[in-house]
Amino acid sequence: MDPVIKLNNVSVSYLQNRKGVHSIKDFVLKASFISPFKKHRVLHNIDLEINKGDSVGILGPNGSGKSTLMRTIAGIIKPDEGFLKVGVRVSPLLALGAGIELELSGYENMRIALALSGNYNKTTRKEMIQKVTDFAELTNEQLMMPAKMYSTGMLARLAFSSVMTCQPELLMIDEVLAVGDKGFQIKCMNRIHEIIKNGATLLFISHSPNEVKEICTRGICLKEGKKIYDGSSDRAANVYTKLF
Amino acid sequence: MQGKRRYIILFLIYKNLQLKYKHSVLGFLWSLLHPFMYLLIFLAIFSAAFSTTENYPLYVLSGLVFWIYFAGATGQLCNVFIKNTHLIKSLNLPKIIYPLTELGSELVSFLLGLIPFMVLMCFLGMHITFNLLYIIPVILLFSIFLFSVGLILGSLNVFFRDVGILWNTISPALFYLSPIAYAFKLVPERYKFIVKYNPLYHFLELVRNVLWQNQPPDMHYVGRCLLITSVTAILAFLIYSKTRNGFISNL
Repeated sequence: MDPVIKLNNVSVSYLQNRKGVHSIKDFVLKASFISPFKKHRVLHNIDLEINKGDSVGILGPNGSGKSTLMRTIAGIIKPDEGFLKVGVRVSPLLALGAGIELELSGYENMRIALALSGNYNKTTRKEMIQKVTDFAELTNEQLMMPAKMYSTGMLARLAFSSVMTCQPELLMIDEVLAVGDKGFQIKCMNRIHEIIKNGATLLFISHSPNEVKEICTRGICLKEGKKIYDGSSDRAANVYTKLF
Repeated sequence: MQGKRRYIILFLIYKNLQLKYKHSVLGFLWSLLHPFMYLLIFLAIFSAAFSTTENYPLYVLSGLVFWIYFAGATGQLCNVFIKNTHLIKSLNLPKIIYPLTELGSELVSFLLGLIPFMVLMCFLGMHITFNLLYIIPVILLFSIFLFSVGLILGSLNVFFRDVGILWNTISPALFYLSPIAYAFKLVPERYKFIVKYNPLYHFLELVRNVLWQNQPPDMHYVGRCLLITSVTAILAFLIYSKTRNGFISNL
């Protein structure tokens, strides 16, 4: 079976401001007119193959390139070297608070989140909103309030539910589970298992080795932009724990 | 896929409009009050000084409405990528969608505001003829120009945040360099070149041709505006395509 995601020798760089140039004044005074940016490599020569239905946990210390790897797979960042093939429809990256407008109400945010993930059309609109509402366990009154009045946990519920009620081909989660309360976490775990069972591929960034062990069958460990382990999630969790 | 994109674009426009007017009591009325206040101020201060200008109130109002569209839209577009950092970092959509939807919502509120002002212009002596329909292509061309200016500002602002601050300083100056409150012919001969090099002047002439003089737009100015718009649009496209891949690392 062909892998749905294939990375071959992929390297990703960010443009970094040289000499701390942040304004035109600095640009003129310090950097002369050579390019004020230098390339800062975040991911080094990553090789990765992920098959359909795999559930892959990505572990690694802060700044090791986990989110960058995910954004590269999602097509948000272009690699500057190497070959990348993604053969599935990508759902939006689920990072905490992405796209939540604090001034708008819960319902309005829900509609926007559904529209942005491409899961909103006239025929299924009511049904989708109902599903999200049920999953989030937020009351009608709460959903009428602007999101700025929400607690962090409620925001997580809102953001999470909008993505979790859909059945994506590739689900990508970037450390968000930790925020909700115990009940909601269990609910999310169950839903993630269900999504995987229905044939989706999962990429899951976390700092909790236990979560990775519970959800994923495969684990990847990154350190300073390099892949240092790729194998079973149990072993990956061990490698990660030994890093500290 | 195409249908989905269209949905997303419409939704973002709707979201921008909601955000703009949500938490103010007067809401949409503000976008009417703002030019109206300016109009009153100009009439009080300048109408005696510029009494040689025929139908001065209509002259001011027609320029003012378009100026406010220009200032508002470029100001918003300047920050459009910074404002949408979260979405840019988590959605695989062409980034051009964000300025497009921003302009879209500015255009909608401009057009809605134009309706009552057209009524007011009628009271100020504007004639209702088919010539007024020429305002539609003028608005279209002006919007493309605006979008290009905004895209240049927005793209550069990601890398140098003082572009935004600079624009906030320049744009009021631009107001006085444009013949909005005064007529171009009153500008002393030796300073006329300053106004002529201001691209807005040429667009304002088109607007005045239609709304104030009730004529089809002067082909002379149409040509210039087309030229200005194409040059700005090409420049905007070059800057945007050169910088867009660096957005993520600088947001």
